[in-house]
Amino acid sequence: MKVIIVGCGRVGAQLARQLDGEGHHVAVVDQQVVAFQRLGRDFGGDMIVGNCVDEAVLRRAGVESADCFVSVTNGDNRNLMAAQIAQRIFKVRRVITRVYDPIRESVYRELGLETFCPTTLGANLIRDYFREGVNHGHPAVEVDRPVVRAS
Amino acid sequence: MSGSADPPYVIIVGGGKVGFHLAKHLIERDYEVTLVEKDAGRAEWIEHQLGTVSIMIGDGDEMAFLATTGIERASVVIATTGDDEDNLIVCQLAKVKFNVPRTIARVSNPHNVAVFRALGVDAPVSATELLMGLIEAELGSELVRGVAVKASGTCLVDLALPAVSGYVGKHLAEISLPKGGIIVCIVRAGKPVVPQPDTVIEPGDELVVYSQLTDVAAVGEALARG
Repeated sequence: MKVIIVGCGRVGAQLARQLDGEGHHVAVVDQQVVAFQRLGRDFGGDMIVGNCVDEAVLRRAGVESADCFVSVTNGDNRNLMAAQIAQRIFKVRRVITRVYDPIRESVYRELGLETFCPTTLGANLIRDYFREGVNHGHPAVEVDRPVVRAS
Repeated sequence: MSGSADPPYVIIVGGGKVGFHLAKHLIERDYEVTLVEKDAGRAEWIEHQLGTVSIMIGDGDEMAFLATTGIERASVVIATTGDDEDNLIVCQLAKVKFNVPRTIARVSNPHNVAVFRALGVDAPVSATELLMGLIEAELGSELVRGVAVKASGTCLVDLALPAVSGYVGKHLAEISLPKGGIIVCIVRAGKPVVPQPDTVIEPGDELVVYSQLTDVAAVGEALARG
């Protein structure tokens, strides 16, 4: 599978390393060369320096033949724009976008993007930890009993 | 503007140089304008300069904030920040969530004009492209483009005909430009000549051509070849 990841921050880099390790063809796009240090020496995929909301840069990353596109830069609007270019102009089949703002996330989900919101996920995770005593982020960790009962 | 009708309500997002001067210009022409600016210091400065302008401090891409600007009665939203992605999202939210009839976006990267149009922005305007066209004109290069760029994707280009062009000495009726380009005016020795079928092209003529923006290069090549 050919995957393009835009944004080589913590999430982008970790995902890139995992998928590369599983044998997928990964291309990572970031504006800062130093960001690629997060990928480590073993990374075997492509690294493209450039602006991810520029068609020419996405073409260099191979967007025309990509099966999956993930936008995880630190800007919601950048992610939303890059994702729409991939989905609507280059017709990439799976396009997954991170949006921190829950309202904007729901708007673009309605418009047909596959989105996820770390803000909502994080809040729900912490709520469940309190209510149910289960840390879904680390299922192996168990606490004795729920700290807060759902009322 | 006719007396009885309300002036059009325009929301400008981004109080940089472009947004500020645009707001000033529109207010002078009796538009009702709200300028949205993120930075409180900048907003205060603008308020000081423009006096009566309605300026709101906030994030133009936050739905909750946009809802407080009276956006649902705006006839047009103009996004003038320096970031293409922000301008795109502002216009899309205005269109999709608030049914604003017309959206105009400043586009910094000329590649993004087509992208913006494909993603639903009514009128993407590339300042970079316009500026390049004007600077090119000042440089006096042979092919000058982008004299006027319209939302329809067509433009008027001013093409200085190379002396060696095969078109020199031909009647206009004999010339057919590729992809429907039309010669709308001939500039001869600094004076406009209205083109007639029997007008003969002379060396040193400049041709003003109406063409699709994407076909300008092909038209220019055809003229150079003749």
